[in-house]
Amino acid sequence: MPGEELFFLSLTELAKRIETKKLSPVELTQLYLDRSQKFGPRFNAYALLTPDLALDQAKAAEKEIMRGHYRGPLHGIPYAAKDLLAVKGLPTTWGAKPFEKQVLDYNATVIDHLNNVGAVMIGKAAMIELAGGMGYRFASASLQGEAKNPWNPACWTCGSSSGSGAIVAAGLAAFAIGTETWGSIICPSAFCGVSGLRPTYGRVSRYGAMALAPSMDKIGPLARSAEDCARIFAAIAGHDIKDRGTLPIDKAAFTYSPSVGTRALRVGWLTNAWKAQDLDPGVAKPIAAAERVLRKNFSSVRNAALPVGPWEDAGAVIWGVEGAASFRTLIRSGKISQLTDPLNQIAWYLNEKFSAADYLQALRVREVAQKKMDELFENFDVLAAPSQPVPATPLELNLETGLSFPDPLGGIGNICGLPALSVLCGFTEKNLPVGLQFIARAGDDLAVIQAARLFQQHTDWHKRHPKIH
Amino acid sequence: MGNENGSTISRREFARRAAMVSAAASLSPAELLHTQTAPAATVPPQSSTAPNLSPESQIEAQSRIESILAQYGSRLSDAQKADLTRLSNAAQPMLDRLRAYPVGNADGPGLYLKPLIEHESKPRPLASSPKPAVATSKP
Repeated sequence: MPGEELFFLSLTELAKRIETKKLSPVELTQLYLDRSQKFGPRFNAYALLTPDLALDQAKAAEKEIMRGHYRGPLHGIPYAAKDLLAVKGLPTTWGAKPFEKQVLDYNATVIDHLNNVGAVMIGKAAMIELAGGMGYRFASASLQGEAKNPWNPACWTCGSSSGSGAIVAAGLAAFAIGTETWGSIICPSAFCGVSGLRPTYGRVSRYGAMALAPSMDKIGPLARSAEDCARIFAAIAGHDIKDRGTLPIDKAAFTYSPSVGTRALRVGWLTNAWKAQDLDPGVAKPIAAAERVLRKNFSSVRNAALPVGPWEDAGAVIWGVEGAASFRTLIRSGKISQLTDPLNQIAWYLNEKFSAADYLQALRVREVAQKKMDELFENFDVLAAPSQPVPATPLELNLETGLSFPDPLGGIGNICGLPALSVLCGFTEKNLPVGLQFIARAGDDLAVIQAARLFQQHTDWHKRHPKIH
Repeated sequence: MGNENGSTISRREFARRAAMVSAAASLSPAELLHTQTAPAATVPPQSSTAPNLSPESQIEAQSRIESILAQYGSRLSDAQKADLTRLSNAAQPMLDRLRAYPVGNADGPGLYLKPLIEHESKPRPLASSPKPAVATSKP
């Protein structure tokens, strides 16, 4: 049995060993599968393990590599995909009872991209039902039950990419794919202490992904470092004729090389991302230390403030209306009563009643927000702030009341489609991870990657992992 | 002010009826028939935990819940109805804030989100001497 450290190696290090034939993709896949079978149920991390598919893909990768056909840094690397991504012939449940028998006959574009670079899918990651749908009250809002945090199984992973967070944090796969409409990559990354990239809206095709709020849905990686996120992002980004929301070819594609120079990033330290009274003291201390790291090692760090406006209100209306439209058949059929969560069972009815005029007002407010953020980014390349004001919450917490603090950064970031990357920046006194996020202008995903990478060059938090026995 | 014989209506009653018309306009004819047989809305007393709403906003929230109950009430439990009423009240300040935010003629709706990415073509200069890593170095 290899040492536990193997399961927490960065994608970069795994790739180096695979490329030089020091590590067999088949062996690595089997090891991750064994570990996932052993520990996955402990954390409710998976919706489905796919050992047959994984070993077939791993054998194909190994054969190619042995023949000298190395496809790149994801070749032979095991990963998990959130269970809202279609994989031909496999169940794609969207985490929800009404869809537990759903089998789609095509692959999501993201899955095709990962197949093309030779990555190995070992399973579908558990998720919050319908990616949070219209809101949920408890962590248990999932077909698999509450996802448990590998740092403390009495705590939650956050959602909706709950399984993706648990899988990466517990070393059950080298990386996982998550999605975010509002908070679903950044929050699990923060609670689970992993690196998570929410790309610019439109850089990653959503074809084959469950549509919740089509003008806000995004797909991105959760991994061990910013650099790992960059390599995965490079594989999955790109224009897709099957997703009209993707950006044009020249704006959607992303290439990454670790040798690319780091710009003299102008960092804005956000002073109003969270209300001071909402910032947990256990979070405040590591965040203060992270701020010192930035001020010491980045060429320019100045205080910055988000513009004030009803960004969260606009986001909530856009999400609510688009979500109600996406699931109108489910609402009208009454099958939403089959959802697990008491809030998710009823809130759709309310959102279906918002008027078209209110929706259009929200879209106009979105445009104002985009302009205001664009003005802010005249003075800063990246903004930095705590990813969440609190650490991972207890499994039984009522989220409607316990996680109800204002989130203007999440609101404006998601209605404007801004890229963000959350990295681990320390721990509370109870050894729960604390996340720091970087946010950049739409399209400048490289800025958040460079900022996070530079932070990780000056710290070693991202190399910490929970002990799983 | 309204008089005793009801020949005129109070501003509050006018607003309530206007809200009901507005809500009914979004319903199908069949739903409308159902709604017309439902008990008339009244401005509900605000509980201590409810948001502080103007009379007009109270009526709007109430009409919204009545529309939901007219359409879906048969499938909802009493607890769910109460929960929806609370949620409808809680959503009203959000709508009020959104509507009050000034947007100009040039602020068009971002119908299908196209992020502003024009500035991507203006790269910043490379750092001439980036500060060295001090803790750990990446492989």
